[in-house]
Amino acid sequence: MEIESALMKPLKNAVETDNLRKVFEIKQGLLRRNAKSVVAVEGISLTVPAGQSVAFIGPNGAGKSTTIKMLTGILKPSSGTASVLGLDPWKQRSKLVRQIGAVFGQRSQLWLHLPPSDSFDLLAEIYGIPKNDYRKRKALLVERFDLGRFLSTPVRKLSLGERMRAEIAASLLHRPQLLLLDEPTIGVDVIARQNLRDLVCEWNREEGVTVFLTSHDTGDIESVADRVIVINHGRVVLDDSLSSVSENTLIEGKTAELEEIIAHLFNSAASLPMQNCISPG
Amino acid sequence: MKNSIRQIWAVARVAARSNLAYLGEVASRTFFLAVILFIFLKLWQATYRESASAVIGGLSLNQMLWYLTVTEAIYMSAPRLAQQIDEDVRSGALAVRLLKPISYPLYCLSSALGERIVRFLANFATGAAVTFCLVGPFNCSPAAPIMLLVAVLLAFVLDGLGHLIIGLWAFWLEDTSGLLLIYTRLSMILGGMLIPMELFPDWLKSFVFFLPFPYLVWGPAHLFVHSDWLQFAQLVGLQSLYILLLLAVVNLIYGWALERISAHGG
Repeated sequence: MEIESALMKPLKNAVETDNLRKVFEIKQGLLRRNAKSVVAVEGISLTVPAGQSVAFIGPNGAGKSTTIKMLTGILKPSSGTASVLGLDPWKQRSKLVRQIGAVFGQRSQLWLHLPPSDSFDLLAEIYGIPKNDYRKRKALLVERFDLGRFLSTPVRKLSLGERMRAEIAASLLHRPQLLLLDEPTIGVDVIARQNLRDLVCEWNREEGVTVFLTSHDTGDIESVADRVIVINHGRVVLDDSLSSVSENTLIEGKTAELEEIIAHLFNSAASLPMQNCISPG
Repeated sequence: MKNSIRQIWAVARVAARSNLAYLGEVASRTFFLAVILFIFLKLWQATYRESASAVIGGLSLNQMLWYLTVTEAIYMSAPRLAQQIDEDVRSGALAVRLLKPISYPLYCLSSALGERIVRFLANFATGAAVTFCLVGPFNCSPAAPIMLLVAVLLAFVLDGLGHLIIGLWAFWLEDTSGLLLIYTRLSMILGGMLIPMELFPDWLKSFVFFLPFPYLVWGPAHLFVHSDWLQFAQLVGLQSLYILLLLAVVNLIYGWALERISAHGG
């Protein structure tokens, strides 16, 4: 009932975090187990309006996946608060996951030896989608993602591009309000990659699903995101609209491509000043 | 509860269908089963001849071979549940599984059940054909297949929970193959896979009956060759009791495991 009422009420912000912090305890030594504290996320405050498409990027070990795990309720923050789709991710995880769709480029949610159709049927049961709704939703996704040709082919026989189309369609079956995409185009060829980006944009535009994308491919970011959040060493070092970043950021007095800006931020770990100007040195 | 049952059934059904894709593996396993049963026949033929007895431990040679057919079919259908949890924890695939609205242990258990039922049926069909050729038919009571089916299903749930408990230690150990080896060998020996419990020394028998292992293998196989409603009721009762007990243990360890991920990272 609570989920239904949350769905009825238009949500202003999909994600709100306030000073989110996560410290892990790493035990060292064989006999004397000394605990060492490692700060993975250092006070992240974000507000993502519902329906926005955000690229959440950072170098390896920057705290991206720790942040996403906190937002999905897998990890409990050491301090700070988070609200995702109006729910407390840690306390209401089972309710929250019903409203989240996730695609991980390197991990499949489809059964390898079975056709995508069988995995869709299973997901419908897991999410408890009513039969009629499911039939309509599946037909729509099959048509829009052009899955008809290979819907009955075992997943192991699909090309990576076809498999990823099926993966994204599978993650949208239960009408999630938030779509997490982690490297969705990794290893996919240029044409299939563009096709995937177009589909995500289309779904974001037409269904209003909030997209949270992590990718090292600037093409993904430029095609899909309205806003870029860069984190490094557990802190937000850039948070701006994509257009503003592309137009207003100067490196050593010159305009720069998104890829250069990101590389600079990954290297320097310094926050961009308000005017988005990166000075030499 | 109704939702959980529907989810268990859906996952088990898909796992069963997926397992049918491994026809090569099923065929190689059933070939191995035929060889094992032939060796057992020769061993037990020699034992019966040497003891100059037509019945050992309450079983004739024919019953002994049919008993071993059931125990081997059960044992060789064991799923890769603990190894799967190891892999999920090590590779980080666990995070993906935790984003689905089905409890992770329930998902693993349902998937293992579906997989195991297919494997058991294939093993039992091959084993029965081989044993039929070696020692002839077995005149079981009409109730025996039903008793076997129920007891085997409960044994699979119980064994699945055992594998889950082992697998969940991956959150601390990362590799549970050592623990799994101990568990599988205990269920092989104390479960009566090689030798029926009736032949165990009394001191061991009285001790082993307090452990869950006999109810994984010996119980269903014994019922198949000695069908008896009272014993069936006792077995089902004990299996259910152990299932409830192990469910509580799984819940406890899983709760600790989630806390551990949160404190030390995934």
